[in-house]
Amino acid sequence: MNFLNIAMVGGVAALSIPLIIHLFHKSRFKIVPWGAMHLLVAVLRTNQKRIKIEQWILLAVRCAIPAILALMMARPVWQGAKRMLGEEPTSTVVLLDNSYSMEAERAGKTNFSIARDETERLVGELKNGSEAYVFLMGEGRGLLDQSTRDISSVTKSLAKVGSGYGVARVPAALDFVASTLDKMTGNARQVVLMTDFQKVSFPETDEKLINQSLERLKQLRVPPSVTLWDVGVEVKENVAVESLDFTKLMVGVGQKVQIRANIRNFGDTARPDLRVTLKVDGKEKPGTAGSQLSLAARSQGQVLFTHTFDKPGSHFIEIETEADSVKPDNRYLASIPVRDKLSVLLVDGAPGATADDLKSETGFAQIALSPFFSGKVEQADLIQAKAMPVEAVNAKSISESSVVVLANVAKLNDEQMKALETFVKQGGGLLVFTGDRTDAAWWNGPFGKLAPLQLGAMAGDPNAKAEAGSKPGANLAKVASQRFGHPALELFNDPRNGNLNDAEIKAWFRLKPAERSGGPDDPTVLARLDNGDPFLVEKTYGEGRVIACSTTLDSDWNNIPARPSYLPLIQRLCVYLASNVYPPRNLQVGEQLVSFLPADTAGKKATLTLPDTSIVEVPVVKKGERGVVEYPQTQRPGLYKLQAPGGEPVHYVVNAERSESDMTKMSESEIKAFAKTHGLQLVHSAEEFKALDKAQRYGQEIWKLALFILLVLLFGELILQQMFARGRRKV
Amino acid sequence: MAHVSDFLEPSDLQRISSLQVFARQIVEGFTTGLHRSPHKGYSVEFKQHRQYVPGDEIRHIDWRVFARSDRYYIREYEEETNLRSTIVLDRSGSMNYAGSKTGGVTKYEYATRLAACLSYLMVHQADGVGLATFDTDIRRYIPPRSKVSHLRLIIDELEKGKPGGETEMGEVFHNLVPKLHRRGLLIIISDCFGEVAKFLKAMAHFRHAKHEIIVFQIWDRDELEFPFKGWTQFDCLEQAGVKHLLDPVMLRQAYMENLGVFRDELVKGCRRHHIDLVPMCTDESYSKALAAYMTRRLGKA
Repeated sequence: MNFLNIAMVGGVAALSIPLIIHLFHKSRFKIVPWGAMHLLVAVLRTNQKRIKIEQWILLAVRCAIPAILALMMARPVWQGAKRMLGEEPTSTVVLLDNSYSMEAERAGKTNFSIARDETERLVGELKNGSEAYVFLMGEGRGLLDQSTRDISSVTKSLAKVGSGYGVARVPAALDFVASTLDKMTGNARQVVLMTDFQKVSFPETDEKLINQSLERLKQLRVPPSVTLWDVGVEVKENVAVESLDFTKLMVGVGQKVQIRANIRNFGDTARPDLRVTLKVDGKEKPGTAGSQLSLAARSQGQVLFTHTFDKPGSHFIEIETEADSVKPDNRYLASIPVRDKLSVLLVDGAPGATADDLKSETGFAQIALSPFFSGKVEQADLIQAKAMPVEAVNAKSISESSVVVLANVAKLNDEQMKALETFVKQGGGLLVFTGDRTDAAWWNGPFGKLAPLQLGAMAGDPNAKAEAGSKPGANLAKVASQRFGHPALELFNDPRNGNLNDAEIKAWFRLKPAERSGGPDDPTVLARLDNGDPFLVEKTYGEGRVIACSTTLDSDWNNIPARPSYLPLIQRLCVYLASNVYPPRNLQVGEQLVSFLPADTAGKKATLTLPDTSIVEVPVVKKGERGVVEYPQTQRPGLYKLQAPGGEPVHYVVNAERSESDMTKMSESEIKAFAKTHGLQLVHSAEEFKALDKAQRYGQEIWKLALFILLVLLFGELILQQMFARGRRKV
Repeated sequence: MAHVSDFLEPSDLQRISSLQVFARQIVEGFTTGLHRSPHKGYSVEFKQHRQYVPGDEIRHIDWRVFARSDRYYIREYEEETNLRSTIVLDRSGSMNYAGSKTGGVTKYEYATRLAACLSYLMVHQADGVGLATFDTDIRRYIPPRSKVSHLRLIIDELEKGKPGGETEMGEVFHNLVPKLHRRGLLIIISDCFGEVAKFLKAMAHFRHAKHEIIVFQIWDRDELEFPFKGWTQFDCLEQAGVKHLLDPVMLRQAYMENLGVFRDELVKGCRRHHIDLVPMCTDESYSKALAAYMTRRLGKA
């Protein structure tokens, strides 16, 4: 005996209600002074024993009524009774694998279409009143929000489902099923896992998780029968574009971008002349026939493309290899925001004789920011740097820039300070370098609001001799080597891009550690000197960010400008400060798509074009000082185009993990062993499934019987009461 | 001193005074009244002529008839005599039942009012009326008189008496018989609870002494319908300490059957002894019920 609604079993305690009522009434009796006692006593004498027995019978019947009602509502199942096929409705959950490996095609039919047809048939043949639920493993969601008895709605929705989604995760799917099954009401419950048994879907590392999930299913009140359904054929050959790499943090108009595509051959056959093409904004790059790549069996290769964007805005690129039957992994998408010129204002606290004088405070920086322009090379710089002395700086020059760099500036007047504060608050970037002219009183006073940390005493000796290879002493410091997590410094994790810690710093200001409030506006130390003093510190202010460096921008106090790392460091810092906080545009399947929009768009609707070209409207929600668009249903890989109200279109791309690309299937013996280990059934066709279903279903719901008993008791109680009251022995 | 109007409402008095009580049997009496006597007396109202037989008093010979017919005829007159009635009132404990609906009127109160009505009526028409109250024994006996002052005595006694104790009708009635010297009308006001056989035996004794008997059997509606619901403890009104806790719904049918049997036996017994049994319920207007009975009585007379 089992119960589908176990909570109601507790309701059996309701049998005490009539008992309590009986005792209550008996204790709260009325007293009647009675005259005609001789009439009553005679009746009592002859009937007393019988009345007692009848009262007990009535009480028992009355107690049984709520108890049986509670039992009936608990939906008891008599598991001893075998049933005929289709005798009773079932609760069926189908785990349908629509990951992109199911796209494997043979004879014009994909594995997925076979699986979908079988699912449709299986669901369609369910007995009237059955519940069905289809879980799409690739998407990690249910076909409908919840299980339904409306089978036609399931089959209708099934017809619209496609494959080519992310990766099928068996343990997660089984867990999801467990919670769904718990809410279903049928007595006979079954789970059908319809998949292509790709090896990667059942890795050894998942063995424990799968086991746990299956155990969970077994522990359900009504444990379901779990059947593995092996669909489709094995397609071994598959080539996939695994990933794309870019060299630049930000791409500017006219800049040459290098795109490196990693391509892997998962098949056992060598691909000697694999054609790889680059598409920009959906169009094949004119004049390129694509690259040829030769890949041996089970090997990886790279193809390098270059491209120059001639227009700013959101762009997307697509790398595509020659088609094989598993199409979704033949291409890889990337969204690239292209910036127009980035203007950087260098405020020089110690200007030189001429504008490009290397002795000026900003001389090195100017070259580093616009190297092509300075070298008179005909290539486009992303950054357009402009240096000016402190006195020349005004509100206009500040607001026209993306980033302002203060180099050895003693102080700014109130007007400049106000303009700078507004600039940062509205999202501008500020980079501050110290120097011999830096006024600690001004820094810690009026500038304190923007400064990430308070300025302490100066350390080191600017005149100390810096010789190559000299050991750092008390007066000589180096940047401590560490792994950088900051996007502006990540580059230096790869020694090929230069090394920060080979530079020597002769003098620096000690930046006093501030008290931390734990909020998001707390300053972050990005890099430290080897003596523990902060080297680079970041702080957000309003919508903008401020980075302070404890030494000079030029070579007065250090020899960084003479190092190869100087150019990428300054460029990266400026580009980083210039780029507003973009939420990522290159997403993985299931990652939430987020876009920041101006605050005035809040309350309006943005339109989002999905990979299947359908369009959805997404509301812009006000969060803080900006409007935010969020769209979490990114299960389908591909291009998502977001059109914000009154703005330019923005491209987001969703790529699936490439683990599914390895099409190797578990062997028949492996599948059988898996089924046997976990005590599961294995079928390959609808006929096998039917035969199995008939054999394994058992258990009979007996609420109807309980209802019958309840009705009998209800009528019985009435009849008994009448009968007992009438059928007295005559005196 | 209590007055008859304490017991009777004016409307009741009016209703009853318009009726005449006619005893079916002739009761011996000395004073002239409205009741016909079976004895042919020497009164004012002529009844018939009868042929003279030797032994008749010569002064009763109608000489006018002798003059016309030359035969001796005796004039016979109808003698009017007063009715001697005794009200026998049951004041046992069971008469103290007030019921659950009737607004607290006990059967005893009802019975005393009924007795007062009858007393008034009889005294009003110069009939003698007496009173005997009893429970296990005769508690008070007031012999019948027809004076108005006597009525006050009866009414006082009615007011003073309190019900209590058991009923023992058989014994009591046997004891009562010798006290009633002349035959007359016995008006028994009681619920007649107890053994029917004993009651009937006592009635038979009365009848043997040539008494006319009317039994007003006083019921409470509860006793007739047993309307109780829910667990109830019935405390005996006659015997202290006797109580029964029961679910009356389960017993109602049996009670009603038992009641039917009891009433049936009583009705049959009374009919056998030519006793008028008038069941009255305390929620009925007693004067109305009394009037209805009297009308019927008149019809029989």
